[in-house]
Amino acid sequence: MMQFRLEKRREPSRFMLYATPVAAVALTMLLGAIIFSAIGYDGIGAVREIFLTPLTNSLKWQDLGVKAAPLIIIGVGLSISYRANVWNIGAEGQFNMGALFATAAGIFITGPTPVMLVVIFCAGALGGLLWILIPTLARAYADVNELITTLLLNFVAALFVYYVSTGPWRDKASHMLASTFKVPYYVPDLWGTLHWGLIVAIAMAIIMAGILAYTRWGYEVRISGANPHAARYAGIPVRRRIIAVMLLSGAIAGVAGMFEVAGTIHRLQGGISNNFGYVGIMVAVLARGSSIGVIFAGALMAVILNAGIVLQTKGLNTNTVLALTGLILFFTAIGDEFAHYRLVRSRPATSTS
Amino acid sequence: METILAGILSTAILAGGVLALGALGEVMAERVGVVNLGVEGLMAMGAVTGIAVVLAVPNPWVGLLAATLVGMLLSAIFAFATVVLKANQILCGLALTLIGGGLSATLGRPYSSTPAPATFEPVIIPGLSDLPIVGRGIFSQNILIYLIYLVLPLLLYFIMFKTRHGLNLRAVGENPSAADAAGIPVTRIRFLYVTLGGALAGMAGGYLTLAYIPSWSDGVVAGRGWIAVALVIFAGYRPISAVLAALFFGVITALGFVGQARNWPIPAPFLSMLPYLGTIGLMIVPVLAWRKLRRWMAAPDALGEPYYRDVR
Repeated sequence: MMQFRLEKRREPSRFMLYATPVAAVALTMLLGAIIFSAIGYDGIGAVREIFLTPLTNSLKWQDLGVKAAPLIIIGVGLSISYRANVWNIGAEGQFNMGALFATAAGIFITGPTPVMLVVIFCAGALGGLLWILIPTLARAYADVNELITTLLLNFVAALFVYYVSTGPWRDKASHMLASTFKVPYYVPDLWGTLHWGLIVAIAMAIIMAGILAYTRWGYEVRISGANPHAARYAGIPVRRRIIAVMLLSGAIAGVAGMFEVAGTIHRLQGGISNNFGYVGIMVAVLARGSSIGVIFAGALMAVILNAGIVLQTKGLNTNTVLALTGLILFFTAIGDEFAHYRLVRSRPATSTS
Repeated sequence: METILAGILSTAILAGGVLALGALGEVMAERVGVVNLGVEGLMAMGAVTGIAVVLAVPNPWVGLLAATLVGMLLSAIFAFATVVLKANQILCGLALTLIGGGLSATLGRPYSSTPAPATFEPVIIPGLSDLPIVGRGIFSQNILIYLIYLVLPLLLYFIMFKTRHGLNLRAVGENPSAADAAGIPVTRIRFLYVTLGGALAGMAGGYLTLAYIPSWSDGVVAGRGWIAVALVIFAGYRPISAVLAALFFGVITALGFVGQARNWPIPAPFLSMLPYLGTIGLMIVPVLAWRKLRRWMAAPDALGEPYYRDVR
């Protein structure tokens, strides 16, 4: 009788580690086409529109850049938090609060644009940081699962944004019902609608890669995540590193929200987060813990997120994108498992040791 | 005053039912050592299935059964990935949540804001329903309430803590290699309970659109799946405590509704935040206040860890 079992590899297969995301996307395209067809849409057409058209049509490259910037920024923060084995899945809420704080600064403080952009930047970071403060302290001092607390705060943040943009800060002069006053300070444009946020995002990824690889702090964060017991034994203040990493990832997600307000939308409105926070999780996972990898993963997920608008014209829901993201995540998780283990055919019981 | 109390109790029981079903399902999965973070997605798929089926066959039982089966099927896929292939449970759970949320939004577009044509109607129990407060609050509810608050938790409690099989399944969650050595089929038990737990999450979705809301709109689950997961931790992985915790959250939800209905000077979005903030508060405050509670709340030892026979 033929039997298969999993056998642990001494070293995770490097080939599998990098082949996994590619295979996951390919499988998702295939399965996506099948599912769309099964529920009565043009499956192959939809998949082509989602995955290929944005790449071949140069007019869409700006859109991709605009979407990639927040994804890369969020991904940088989440990627270090996952390296430290901290599950911040509340980037959506931190993004929203960053956007909210940035908007508040932009509406209520006046000053010359360059100064104000710095103020708004700091406000965005502060918003994100405050939003993860309680989950951070709870995780560090009471061992409360940060995964659920950060996630639940996403719903609270969305309600907050909804409240201020339909209530106290609503721009009554505009025709939009759920949108705040215009934030009059713009992040300069790079090319068309593409703003400097993308450059900042790439710079952040490179700087973070440098910090993780070449500084003592980065080393201690990596060890705290990989083996907390060994880290503690070596005298690394694990708790302080965890606090720093969580707050940093929250602040970075807040910065992404700030760029969305000051660079793209120029107002705060409900749904401004556009699932960036959730897709950002995917970016961090696909990046394999590498900050440089975040740039490529961010670009890839921007392609998929960008498809939301296309899908709407095809009679599908924008949230369909989340389902595709989920499929990629699912296949990546399985692929990762195979990177560490290999399927071997086990010999009949009599001949084993 | 009496009508307000009866109203709060009635709404609390109705609203808590979704959380109770989800939490019971998660207790089943986590007791055998598997964290299923896909509850939110399973609920969304159950919710959309319930409404779609009832629009075709106007019988709420058929809708609820279909929702349960969809939850079961999807969590069987999750269980295959995490228990058989041993993939990362957190990532697969998040994936399931994203898939369920996105797919339900796609499938549910035609049914958006359509009221369910057949729902679980309140059953007025003769005699008992005339009692003050509890009469309206407890004895004039739909029939599922008794299943959710009485039959399922007691049944699960009995199976988990009063039978040999229950001892085995808890052993699988605490120490799978010891369980394996004792001849307990670890993989099979994990697969079974994760799948059955997912079935309850699907049923929770069906309950949401067929008994509680009762209509479908995108985002109708609104984090209830995550609250259910949090309740399980708070309830110390015990079925009866999980149901009581769900009821408590029903009360918080009901207070928000009362506030809106009676025009409290708090804007509606802030009242809607109550269940989320309440959950976070309950995850943090008790462990800070009573350190002893940490032992009572302790998770199964092997929670979240895949079991490999050849790695010791």
